[in-house]
Amino acid sequence: MKLWDLIKIANRNLFRNKLRTFLTVAAIFVGSFTLTMTNGLGDGMRAYVESQVKNFESDSVIIARRKIEDADANRPAGSPKEYKEAPTNENADAPLDPNSILMTMPQIENAVRGIDGVKSVTPRYNLKAEYITLDGQKKYEATMSMMIEGVKQKTEAGRQIAGTGEIVIPVGLARTLSDDIQNLIGKTATIGYKDKDQKLQTLPLTIVGVATKGFQTNTASFVDVGTAKMMHAAQKNGDGPDRFVAFSLEMNTADPLVIAAAKKHLLEQGLEGDTIADNQKRIYDGIAIFKVAMAAVAMIALLAASFGIINTLVIAVLERTKEIGLQKALGMSRGKIFAIFSLESVLIGFWGAALGIAAGIIVGLITNKVLITAYKESFDGFNLFAFTLPSIATVLGIVSAIAFLAGVMPAIRASRLNPIESLRYE
Amino acid sequence: MLEARSLSKTYSGDGTDFQALRNVDVRINAGDCVAIVGKSGSGKSTLMHLLACLDAPTNGSVFVDGNDTAALSEKEKNTLRNEKFGFVFQQFFLNGRDTVTENVLLPLRIRGASGNTLASEAAAALAAVELSDKAKKSAKDLSGGEKQRVCIARALIGNPQVIFADEPTGNLDSTTGAAVEKLLFDLNRDKGITLVIVTHDGDLAEKCSRIIEMKDGEIVNERTGGAA
Repeated sequence: MKLWDLIKIANRNLFRNKLRTFLTVAAIFVGSFTLTMTNGLGDGMRAYVESQVKNFESDSVIIARRKIEDADANRPAGSPKEYKEAPTNENADAPLDPNSILMTMPQIENAVRGIDGVKSVTPRYNLKAEYITLDGQKKYEATMSMMIEGVKQKTEAGRQIAGTGEIVIPVGLARTLSDDIQNLIGKTATIGYKDKDQKLQTLPLTIVGVATKGFQTNTASFVDVGTAKMMHAAQKNGDGPDRFVAFSLEMNTADPLVIAAAKKHLLEQGLEGDTIADNQKRIYDGIAIFKVAMAAVAMIALLAASFGIINTLVIAVLERTKEIGLQKALGMSRGKIFAIFSLESVLIGFWGAALGIAAGIIVGLITNKVLITAYKESFDGFNLFAFTLPSIATVLGIVSAIAFLAGVMPAIRASRLNPIESLRYE
Repeated sequence: MLEARSLSKTYSGDGTDFQALRNVDVRINAGDCVAIVGKSGSGKSTLMHLLACLDAPTNGSVFVDGNDTAALSEKEKNTLRNEKFGFVFQQFFLNGRDTVTENVLLPLRIRGASGNTLASEAAAALAAVELSDKAKKSAKDLSGGEKQRVCIARALIGNPQVIFADEPTGNLDSTTGAAVEKLLFDLNRDKGITLVIVTHDGDLAEKCSRIIEMKDGEIVNERTGGAA
């Protein structure tokens, strides 16, 4: 008896008691549907977040921050943290202040001394702009960020920053300034900002690009490091040394060993360094954990449904005891009896999964359509549910495997039946 | 063809042992038409089950064509039953939802046969039991006599050397029973198929060439039948 014959027999057996088979398949359907939806939601989130964070890419730039350790981390919840006296910090190269996350330039230079493969070290210059405008147009509120060298940025038009006196503007602003954003490339934008004496200054910058949408680029304009340094110097208050929340290390190489060594060195200096790739991975991992947690809920439904399969097959073995007895008397092997019942079980799982996946995809795609129609602004480019072939194949595989396992016990019972006793069975 | 040597079978259960068969020796030659008779509990069914390799003896051996079946693996016994033996049971054991043809084909399907010769083989077997016109019907729509004839076709299709018939007419009225008997005896006479019939129907037994009488797990008498 060939496998295909066994499958045909198993399928025919399932159709003998249509209602019972339908009810068992229905339970699997519910579980598969839920699993398809939760996977779709996870994949949808992943695809959306990816589209938002992927417009910055780099695996050779490390962004470093102070790692603030709570030396008294084991204190009872809710009790206050003890104040630690700071070293006298008037000197820029004094040791790091335990009560602050800020660093001076000499402190930064101290921390990176001895790291191999450093191309450049740039502190994060904080910028505050009042407005941005184009000749003869309205002034618009502006948020300014510094573009770190060595990071790739995606643009809708033009290119990313490559020299000084350049600016990349967000696509929303670009569309407001011109119907054809291509026309803006090469034009001069004027930035208004207040200096340390609260006097309004203007700064002309060449628009070289329009940024692709993303969490960090929806509102912020990006300027080159030289421009940022100049603006920061003009805005700096007080006489003390400059202090920064973070700095970036542009490395000569993306070699993971070099990057890892640099991070280790930073950690020894009380600093945490991550590449953009690290941060993206952390976000993706978070989504993956969310996806697994939701899938676990769906798996509970499948677990419950698997008892339905066991029940159905145990009854089928009882009902067909005489038939099994005859088949064994006529020379059918234990293996084939086992195979027929196992295949019935797997087929129940397969049909439940196939229908559940199909229903899940239909419901998901309709939901996407409804959301996009109803909330065009907020859901632009966002599909709540995404269905990928690997995800679908995984659901089909998992459900079939669960169904197979559920069928093992009844199938073994069937295969072990004694032919004589089975033929006498009433 | 079939030989039993000092065959014993003891059923154990609930602390009590029941000896269904005690030291039975019997030899059945190719082409024989043997009736095994006796009251219920006499061991006649047990003897048939052991001869047909459906069960293993507690002591003693069954030889098929001179080979000790105790040495065979379960798989080899399955093949032996499938290829050399045919079975006809009192209760038919047909699959009512399947067609008559599918029921008849079961031994060949178990054997792993496939292809376009199957249909003609089923047709030939059904023709032999004069049921060609019922080939496409569901088995459940047949009368009792027709069902037993389908069972004979099913026993026949694998070209067996021996057909074991356990009370083949037990569920049939005398007219249809007679037709079934005639079919079995014709197979024995025309095709040389060895026939082993277990029955407590004296009239049926008398039509066989050998009659083995059993009582309390032992053969108490063997004689030649008249009618055959």
